[in-house]
Amino acid sequence: MDRILRCRLESRFGERLTGPVRQRHDETEIRIAPGDVPEVLLALHDESEFRFRMLSDLAGVDTGTTMQAVYHLWSDTTADWLRVIADGMSRDDPRVPSVTFLWKGAEWMEREAYDMFGITFEGNRDLRRIYMPPDYASFPLRKDFFLADDAARSPAGGVRHMEQTHGPTNAQTGARIRQAPSS
Amino acid sequence: MTTRTPFDIPAHASTDDPRVTLDEQLGVFEPIPPYPPRTEREAEFYTLRDGEMFLNMGPQHPSTHGVLRVVLKIDGEKVVDLDPVLGYLHRGVEKLCENADYHQAICYTDPLEYISSLFCEWSPVMAFEKLLDVQVPRRAEYIRVLSGELNRIASHALFIGWFALDLGGLTPILWSFIERDEIVEMLAALTGQRMLFNYFRIGGVNGDLNHEFMSRLGTWMSKATHQINSNQALLNENEIFVRRARGLGVIDTATALQMCMTGPNLRATGVPFDIRRAHPYSIYPELDFDIPSRTEGDCLARYLLRMDEVKQSLRIIDQCLHRMPDGPVMAKLPRLIRPRPGRAYAAIEGPRGQYATYAISDGTDQPYRMRIHDPSFIHLQSVGLLTPGNLIADTMAIMASLDPIMGGVDK
Repeated sequence: MDRILRCRLESRFGERLTGPVRQRHDETEIRIAPGDVPEVLLALHDESEFRFRMLSDLAGVDTGTTMQAVYHLWSDTTADWLRVIADGMSRDDPRVPSVTFLWKGAEWMEREAYDMFGITFEGNRDLRRIYMPPDYASFPLRKDFFLADDAARSPAGGVRHMEQTHGPTNAQTGARIRQAPSS
Repeated sequence: MTTRTPFDIPAHASTDDPRVTLDEQLGVFEPIPPYPPRTEREAEFYTLRDGEMFLNMGPQHPSTHGVLRVVLKIDGEKVVDLDPVLGYLHRGVEKLCENADYHQAICYTDPLEYISSLFCEWSPVMAFEKLLDVQVPRRAEYIRVLSGELNRIASHALFIGWFALDLGGLTPILWSFIERDEIVEMLAALTGQRMLFNYFRIGGVNGDLNHEFMSRLGTWMSKATHQINSNQALLNENEIFVRRARGLGVIDTATALQMCMTGPNLRATGVPFDIRRAHPYSIYPELDFDIPSRTEGDCLARYLLRMDEVKQSLRIIDQCLHRMPDGPVMAKLPRLIRPRPGRAYAAIEGPRGQYATYAISDGTDQPYRMRIHDPSFIHLQSVGLLTPGNLIADTMAIMASLDPIMGGVDK
């Protein structure tokens, strides 16, 4: 855990952070609003105290209530991975600005997140489906997309059969409705 | 200059249609999509200018290393632009992993990059261990590094063979398969499988080193350096190969970083970035090895760099064998794993670059979200950047030098 990085992030982006800076193992995590993504990532990329030159990963996450775009960055100024979570996109029409102006290589990762979660990356000039056929209508990695035949559809999706399911379940499939941890 | 947009061409008729006679010309594969363009880039790509035409390559083409389809826009023999079409091998591994428990998820990640499976297992296993706060026994870490470096050599050996094959040389693949087969048999003795090992477990490895593995490894190590050097001489001093690969598909450092490249392809542009040193994991900080890098950034540099890496891997294997500690190979863990809610990210350096896993736990025995980052996917993207301006035959050479594996690209 890099305490100095935490202080730097807090002092630089103070009011932009929508949650506390979290640290665990070799990871530092910040949360920002989707609209702030270009400015925050540009600052992290360019400013000499951060120098996060490498976009290590870009992922979409469906938390059950909102959509997230998650960026993992690497820098030579710190021993930590920096995780930037753009949180709070609506599930009906998730939109976040693209980061292809910084990393052109993010284009396909954004296409993948669009294909799998339906997140629209505004400014990506090639945002079409990458894996699924062009006439495909749904987004497979969303949590309301159930597999045709698997444990997820069974009444005890995700828990052992001897255990009771206490959470909310889907009326049609009987599958447990899962939600991402709030913390 | 006239511009022609061929979107009004109807989807061609089926051969089952009784109205279709054999005199009619039926395209085997129409490269132009029958629907209107969805994005700016697609509209630009599927608009032909004077003298240009489309050429469809794949999905069953021997030099695409799997089932990749590439639509080339060509002007004579020159490639003007290209559009890779993915998804022919898409299995939805992430979704399957999210519907399996933590142990089952590991075996779904094996077939991602089927010639370097141990690395595909390694990053999810590391991410799950971070979620669980498990300390892996030192002997298990040494075995992981040992088997991983063997797998790296096997993967690079196959790369060298394939690369030469795509440039038109048949001999090197026969030679490199000698090396690869010995390693694969060795790993089969250790793990029980030739390709999809499923060997790493959360908290350690599946089994301890056995006699057959060690004796095979000892025999191979005694002649490995000699064999690798003679394999190298086959290509490094081959003038046809060197003149063909030199100066082809050059990428500079800034562009490589922008394209999110990692691994040998980035190091060939002059950045000695290797996660084993840049963000150390496992026991790599204790081991003594170099990070080779080159400045040219062309196909030849990418090839030579992999040859250098093989030598470093041999050094690592040698050190592992000398320092291998005693002890258990598995941490004490319950059979049913339910990590506390949280998030973990783990990245490792594989033969192609960075393999990473971002796992979210919601407290049940299944990962809530498991994102798999694969270097092949990232590197295939830059084929579109490197190829325009080169000849059609160079497309295969450039693609092969970036070493994408379609199992990893299509997840």
